[in-house]
Amino acid sequence: MTCRDFEARADGYAEGRLSPREAAAFEAHLDRCAVCAAALERAAEPPRGLAALPRAIEPASDLWPAIHGRLALVRERPGRLAVPRWGLAAAALLLIALSSGVTAVLLRPAPRAVSARLDVSALEAQYAAVSEDLTGALEKVRSRLQPETIATIERNLRIIDTALDETRRALAKDPGNPALGQMVVAAWRQKVDLLRRATTLGAES
Amino acid sequence: MRALVLLAALLAATPLAAQEKIDRRIAIASDASIRIWNLAGITRIIGWDRDSLAVTGTVPSGAFYMGGSGRGAKLGVERPDGGKADLPATLEIRVPRNVRLWVKSASASVEASGLTGELECSSVDGSIRVEGSLRLVVAESMEGNLSVYGPMGVVRLKGGGGTITLRGARGDVLATTVGGAILATDAALTRAHLETVSGPVAYDGTVAPRGTLAVTTHSGDVTLRLPTEISAEFELSSFDGAILYGLSAKGKGKGEPSPQMGKPMSFTTGGGDARVTVRSFKGEIRVLKP
Repeated sequence: MTCRDFEARADGYAEGRLSPREAAAFEAHLDRCAVCAAALERAAEPPRGLAALPRAIEPASDLWPAIHGRLALVRERPGRLAVPRWGLAAAALLLIALSSGVTAVLLRPAPRAVSARLDVSALEAQYAAVSEDLTGALEKVRSRLQPETIATIERNLRIIDTALDETRRALAKDPGNPALGQMVVAAWRQKVDLLRRATTLGAES
Repeated sequence: MRALVLLAALLAATPLAAQEKIDRRIAIASDASIRIWNLAGITRIIGWDRDSLAVTGTVPSGAFYMGGSGRGAKLGVERPDGGKADLPATLEIRVPRNVRLWVKSASASVEASGLTGELECSSVDGSIRVEGSLRLVVAESMEGNLSVYGPMGVVRLKGGGGTITLRGARGDVLATTVGGAILATDAALTRAHLETVSGPVAYDGTVAPRGTLAVTTHSGDVTLRLPTEISAEFELSSFDGAILYGLSAKGKGKGEPSPQMGKPMSFTTGGGDARVTVRSFKGEIRVLKP
């Protein structure tokens, strides 16, 4: 996939319209292309961050509003929470992909300039918002899940919450440690993904 | 006599669904899309060199449906009475090798072999096993094991508590799980991202030239068994766990315990063609000879 293809498919990815193959190609490109990952990263930043960035990697598509738009759409229709939360699920997927892209950038050999810009607390706020919405959606479909499935979901959530708690405490003691920031983001990503899958299961049952 | 009465009462209270055998087939394109829905029991999918879809097996009476032709088809098992519990069925489905498959399961185990196309499969606690050389495999199971055997193009696996097993993997793999282990043997991946929260990760193989292997875990132990001659940039870090590196010649296979808790360990072997990154919060990291 080229950067142009990536840009063209971004909205489709956000809305969950891509085929599994296209979605996989989208994620693969995000993981290996620093330019597109940086563009996505900046799309999630407040506007003041944009002015400081070089023109050469001007964001090709402003994706973050699409996520918020989706979330807002869901919030505006509380009566429809019991129907499949595809919009919310797509938003969660995009958030996961976005932070994966950020992580991918940070994992590259010379990430110092980018790492300095990693705002873990901003990412955490975004994850927390999506997590809260997904938790609410899961409650709505909980009765449609088998007790064993609920037990499995809760067990996995406890494992993730423990990891999240430990890494956050460590980051609080050492806020300048980029590796800890990445661990916090990774735990959030796991949590949102698990909640997304659980909500989808409930909606499909 | 009393036992017989009790047995009769029990049978009356929980009637067993009658089973029937099925044997159905339709003509279909070699690259058709097929949707399969079987929530409980076994779904066995086998690729073959014919332009037809054939289904045999044992299903609850009146519960099997199948339709479509040419470019697409769907089949599955659904309770005719609309009841909630999933009735088990055993399906053996033969499809053209190059088809695109979408498979839904709850507790049913899914086995696929002999395919070269694309497979997307989701389950709650059923196991999923795929053998062959597909272009794309996407599989999710909240609790079941996920096993992928053979050189696939692109693999995306999401587990929960089950074990993810990769054998002979090539190409591009993204595997994530929470408490389950990730085990890769005979691997030579061009791009791999393996992520767990508490499950261990064991990778035995190599990384393709210019390839990347990235492992992230919170508390799982990570063991990489790589060739001593591997040409790669390594970056290993564990905030609160030991790092053991035993690839260099002087280690003679015994490993060289050198705890580096909290300190990232970065180094290059050979020309540094590939890239190996392991990040852990409190799991132990070991890089050893095969």
